[in-house]
Amino acid sequence: MSGIIETAGLSRFYPGDGAPVRAVDGVDMSVAEGESVSVMGPSGCGKSTLLHLVGGLERPTAGTVTIAGQRVDGLSEAAWARLRRRSVGFVFQAFHLVDELSAVENVELPALLVGTSRRAARRRAMELLERLGVADRATHLPDRLSGGQQQRVALARALVNEPVLVLADEPTGNLDSHATGEILRLFAGLREARQTLLLVTHDPRVAASADRLLTMRDGQIVEDTRLDGGLPRQAVLAQIAGWEA
Amino acid sequence: MRAFALIARLAWRNLRHRPGQAVMLLLALCLATTTLSLALAVNGAGDRSWERVWRDTNGPHVQSFFGYGAERTPSDATLAKVRADLAALTTAPGVVAASGPWDAMVTTGEVAGDRMDVEVLVRDPAPAAVGQPLLTEGQWLDGGDGVVLEEGLASTMRVRLGDTVTVAGQALPVRGVAMTSTTGRFPMYQPGRIWVNQPTGERIQAGGGVEAFASSVELRLAQPGDAAAFVAAHAPPPPRRGEFFYVGLSTWEQLRDGSHDDLSAFAIALVGIGVLLGLLTIATAAVLVASRMAAQIRQVGTLKAIGVTPGQVTMVLLAEYLTVAGLAAAVGLAAGQMLTPMLAGVSLSLYGSPQAPPVTWERAALVVAVAVAVVLLATVRPALRGARRSTLRSLATSARPPRRSSRVGGLASRLGLPLPVVLGLRSALRRPGRVLANAAGLTLGVAMVVIGLGLDRSVHIFMTEQTPDEVEAPGAEIVAEVVDRLVAVVYAGAGLLLALAAVNAVVVAVFAARDSARNHAILRTVGATPRQTMVAFVVAQLGGCLLACAAGIPLGVLLFNLVADDDLAPIRLTFGTYAAVAVIVPLVYAAIVAVPARLFGSRPVTPSLSYQ
Repeated sequence: MSGIIETAGLSRFYPGDGAPVRAVDGVDMSVAEGESVSVMGPSGCGKSTLLHLVGGLERPTAGTVTIAGQRVDGLSEAAWARLRRRSVGFVFQAFHLVDELSAVENVELPALLVGTSRRAARRRAMELLERLGVADRATHLPDRLSGGQQQRVALARALVNEPVLVLADEPTGNLDSHATGEILRLFAGLREARQTLLLVTHDPRVAASADRLLTMRDGQIVEDTRLDGGLPRQAVLAQIAGWEA
Repeated sequence: MRAFALIARLAWRNLRHRPGQAVMLLLALCLATTTLSLALAVNGAGDRSWERVWRDTNGPHVQSFFGYGAERTPSDATLAKVRADLAALTTAPGVVAASGPWDAMVTTGEVAGDRMDVEVLVRDPAPAAVGQPLLTEGQWLDGGDGVVLEEGLASTMRVRLGDTVTVAGQALPVRGVAMTSTTGRFPMYQPGRIWVNQPTGERIQAGGGVEAFASSVELRLAQPGDAAAFVAAHAPPPPRRGEFFYVGLSTWEQLRDGSHDDLSAFAIALVGIGVLLGLLTIATAAVLVASRMAAQIRQVGTLKAIGVTPGQVTMVLLAEYLTVAGLAAAVGLAAGQMLTPMLAGVSLSLYGSPQAPPVTWERAALVVAVAVAVVLLATVRPALRGARRSTLRSLATSARPPRRSSRVGGLASRLGLPLPVVLGLRSALRRPGRVLANAAGLTLGVAMVVIGLGLDRSVHIFMTEQTPDEVEAPGAEIVAEVVDRLVAVVYAGAGLLLALAAVNAVVVAVFAARDSARNHAILRTVGATPRQTMVAFVVAQLGGCLLACAAGIPLGVLLFNLVADDDLAPIRLTFGTYAAVAVIVPLVYAAIVAVPARLFGSRPVTPSLSYQ
């Protein structure tokens, strides 16, 4: 069965002092529809770059990326933008809300971009903000929201068009444990909606919430572990804890 | 001492890390300092040339001049009184040497086949103690019929020794060519001057056709600095009602200043251009500094977090830009010195090859002061604002986020406009400070466009309103050429102003695009295409440009009319021209801002997301 995400020989090199820096080095990966996959590894191992390559935020040096059966590694910026607005939702560690737009305006933006009417987009955005518990902050600019509130708004924005794929880069990196718990509950909801989640994290608790764990080192996937019954989660967590020590 | 070393080190490091900004500011400042330096030096070159002749001829500290028309001759009593007063001046207290009274008359002559008015000056064959003309060719007057021609007249009309000039019907051989400091050089100053001896002068007067008579004395004082006081003390009473003659005294400074009107006009034009360039440079530098502070806010926060005071943070930026200002002043002074002989070389009023005057402390101080003032005006406010921002806030964010939501911004979405336009309007309305800053940077540019158009129209009117007599006067072609060159200098200056205004617009656009790059990258992560982000950016920038048009058009008219005088009439542009400026400038600006927006839009998203 082909996955919603397929990569083959995916690589991204950056110019270095001598030899190029191999941020992502020949990654072959397949993620099935509705699957929740976390990516872990030490800092600088290429986790975020892999996520950005899958979402078209960076261009691969070599290799292919296929999303829902469509080769996307050669798409133009405009074509990528059109694909993202319908099929890909992003959540970042730094939230990346447009600071000139209020919370609800940020959330409704992708809906407006796909042509949803202003009224319908606003209704859908408010529903999501309500569900995420930040409806009372809807008209506030991002500068006036806490980190947890901003991340919930960012998540609402990622979900507003019900994309088949959600890419999350350290979504809880700037959040306290309470806010992290809230975000994890929201991610659990994605699985129920058969939305695919590719999640980069340093946090073992967040990683352990996924169906599958990809472990990266030096730009390569060195381990692919199913977390839904295969290995005991505690063993994975011990391994993860070993990196951090 | 340590603090100064730290400030110097940080400033030097910033200059090395951001050479582009430093070079841009340096270029803009150099344009202003060079123009100002040139303006100050060009006048000095004229002074220097005149002073050389004045020294070599033992020129007067004070000249007294009396003249009247042949058709309105004053009464004999008046003539006798004025002549006596003139003669009395030669023995006045403070006078150490004198020559004259010298009689002169204006009549019609023929030089190299051209009929023209000439001023015939009657002089002694013996050298005068004061103001003896300086021979460049041939010999001075003797007892014979020969005449001596003023150097400008001889060279312009291509008269050689031995040629004949005809004055009042009498053919007179040219014996010599000489320079003088008491009148300007032909053809800038007309009529042309011819020196003759007493018998020749009497024959010319007897021949009839004299249009005006004059007489003058030339005085050397014990103290040249007393000239103004001497003139004030011996000012003659004005003619009584019904009498038509002129009598007056001039100091050597007045003679000098009046000897090179063409260069003075160049200098005035250059001062005006230099001031406007300075103002534009303030706008450019302000944009550079403000954008730099916005981009570097995190670095400022880091510096403050490790114990650098807000004052020291400001000093780092000031030290950096003051270094650039000092360099620009030095380049401006040097370039002014080098270009002065070239520019002064087009003058018709100078004797010999023009030389740049030595750099005086006053000139250097003025140029340095202008460069420093430009930098201070542009730097202090944004630098202080950045430095006073709370350390935590500086560390937490990159660019300053908007403080409040705008109801008008919300309304923009209800107008049914395309989404990119709505996004652009929201961006502009929610960052009014940024819009105003952009508008301030562009306003002078719009004013320059208006001034350039006004100048073109006024020069055209000025040139077409010349009377036929002036155009056909002897040497008129050469005078017209100088006028053309002056116009060329003014146009070149206007061109420089427009170029700097365009550079300013580009700087505003590039920094605005850089400032917006992160937000546009975010928009692209949620599905906005590069074209949509570009349109949003252009719309956001147009607000500032429209404000700039609203303020810049009247400002241009005001600035133009401030410098307008008898020769340069107040601005005469049609309403249609102003309307065209208000339409075309925003369109051109939109095209300019679209370029950096498109460049940023074509880049991958990730670098822009992490951009500081």
